[in-house]
Amino acid sequence: MRIVLIALAAVLAGCTSVAKMETGDQTVGGRLAIHLAGPWNHVSGPGIGPAQTWTMEGLPVDQLLIYAGIKDGETIHQPDNSGKRKNFSFRADMQTEDVVAMFEGMLTRDGSVFKLVKLEPMSFGGQKGFRFEFSVTRKIDSVQLSGIGFGTVSKGELFAMLYAAPQLGFFGRHQGSVEQMARSAKLKM
Amino acid sequence: MKRRAFIRAGCACGAALLPALTRAQEWQPPPRFTRPEVASDEGGLWAMMDREETRLRRSPFNLRDPQLRSYVQDMACRLGGEHCPDIRVHLVRTPYFNASMAPNGMMQVWSGLMLRVDNEAQLAAVLGHEIGHYLSRHSVERLRDAKSRAAFSSFIGMFGLVGALGQLGMMAGMFAYSRDHERDADRVGVMLMSKSGYNAAEASKVWANLLAETKARPGGAQENAFFATHPAQEEREATLAELARAYPGGDANEKAWQQKTAPFLREWLGDEVRRGQHEESLVLLTRALGRGSQQTEYLYARGEVYRLRGAQGDLESSLADFKAAAALGGEPPQTHRGLGLVHRARKELPDAKASFQRYLELEPQAPDALMIKTYLEELT
Repeated sequence: MRIVLIALAAVLAGCTSVAKMETGDQTVGGRLAIHLAGPWNHVSGPGIGPAQTWTMEGLPVDQLLIYAGIKDGETIHQPDNSGKRKNFSFRADMQTEDVVAMFEGMLTRDGSVFKLVKLEPMSFGGQKGFRFEFSVTRKIDSVQLSGIGFGTVSKGELFAMLYAAPQLGFFGRHQGSVEQMARSAKLKM
Repeated sequence: MKRRAFIRAGCACGAALLPALTRAQEWQPPPRFTRPEVASDEGGLWAMMDREETRLRRSPFNLRDPQLRSYVQDMACRLGGEHCPDIRVHLVRTPYFNASMAPNGMMQVWSGLMLRVDNEAQLAAVLGHEIGHYLSRHSVERLRDAKSRAAFSSFIGMFGLVGALGQLGMMAGMFAYSRDHERDADRVGVMLMSKSGYNAAEASKVWANLLAETKARPGGAQENAFFATHPAQEEREATLAELARAYPGGDANEKAWQQKTAPFLREWLGDEVRRGQHEESLVLLTRALGRGSQQTEYLYARGEVYRLRGAQGDLESSLADFKAAAALGGEPPQTHRGLGLVHRARKELPDAKASFQRYLELEPQAPDALMIKTYLEELT
């Protein structure tokens, strides 16, 4: 059993990688330029995407998802092919409320409970966009998460950032950094 | 000729006696269980479930409404008979069809199940089924079966490809064992329903309704019967309908159920819409609309599902449902936001403006009020 666990850990370690995102200007997916006031961690590997996944405290404590040009019909998370869970896909004709509902659906696929706290207009990436605040009660461990999201739909593509972390301590610690990053965002067409 | 008539008469007589015979072979509930030794496998299982129950009591997903909880608890008590003091019902806010009962007497009933049953009798069918598992101590039997299969499986796994095939067979056997337990629990459940005064014919409708939803889901009809832990839904529906013939009469208590759950309907429907399983939700909501009660809530929810799905013709269907909900009165304020968004998408700007204004009148503190005000500025 011990050998199996060690082998499994080795396989997982080999598959998932964490890269440091340095302070300064960064471009996500070649499409979304952002400025970082401090370093972040970029997690990549199988089962992650299409958003870039960043974290400060480590997954699953906090998670920043960055979408840089999701096209019409594209699923916004790793699809479930069993047909048991809904896959949420972006549509180019979505209104702001529909985009928020799509993220809401994605975050509650496991039975978690989502509550929209605020939805307001905000410029994102130099375009007319939106900002929303939310809370999530995570099904798996009942942890209360707070979150913020930013987004815009430009030429039929979705650009967005979504950050969620435990309400106690973690969210407040990194919210400012995420807000600053969102304000600095610029689309590269 | 005489012989044929005799055989016919014999068959007719046998058919008439069949329900009576089925009832005569009724399973008798066991006496109340005592807490098993902690050191035993069953004691370990109870201890694990006790910890789970402690966690569940603190969980934010636990629906703590005392009235609804005591209503469902009373139902479980009627079904459980002398085991009533050992059954503890927990209502859980999760928008999926599920209920379970642990060997220590902890029963979980999910809100997705409560949203889906049409009446008390249908919920009693599911509760009776779970109590059937409890009274037959299926969890312990499954634990012991899994342990013995695991030991044998490790052994035969040493024999290469033949061993691997054997392991696969063992797994299939485990699932088949589980399916047999489900059939037993269905049989006991129907009997308990009838003894408690419920209409046993409602049991098969639970599965018929669920089957209709599953079939509507893209790719949902494909199930692997070989490894499924439960019998196929079609089989369950047919078996339960057959069993119910032996237990005629009883009440469905639809009105009581609708009244007791009315205060939670908006929240449960919101959770259902958020699931994003649009095709399933449309089947569920259309069926619920057929009942004739709480029309406004169901019309709003169905309008939202159409609007969010956004397939061809959905905006028109959504508009019709929202308008019908508003015409009935007492509609959720979000009905007008939905109307505004549909009109905006259809470039019907004066109607969009009027709907958004109505939404803000009804819900000035709405979380999306700032966004809606921006739309209004654009429309002016």
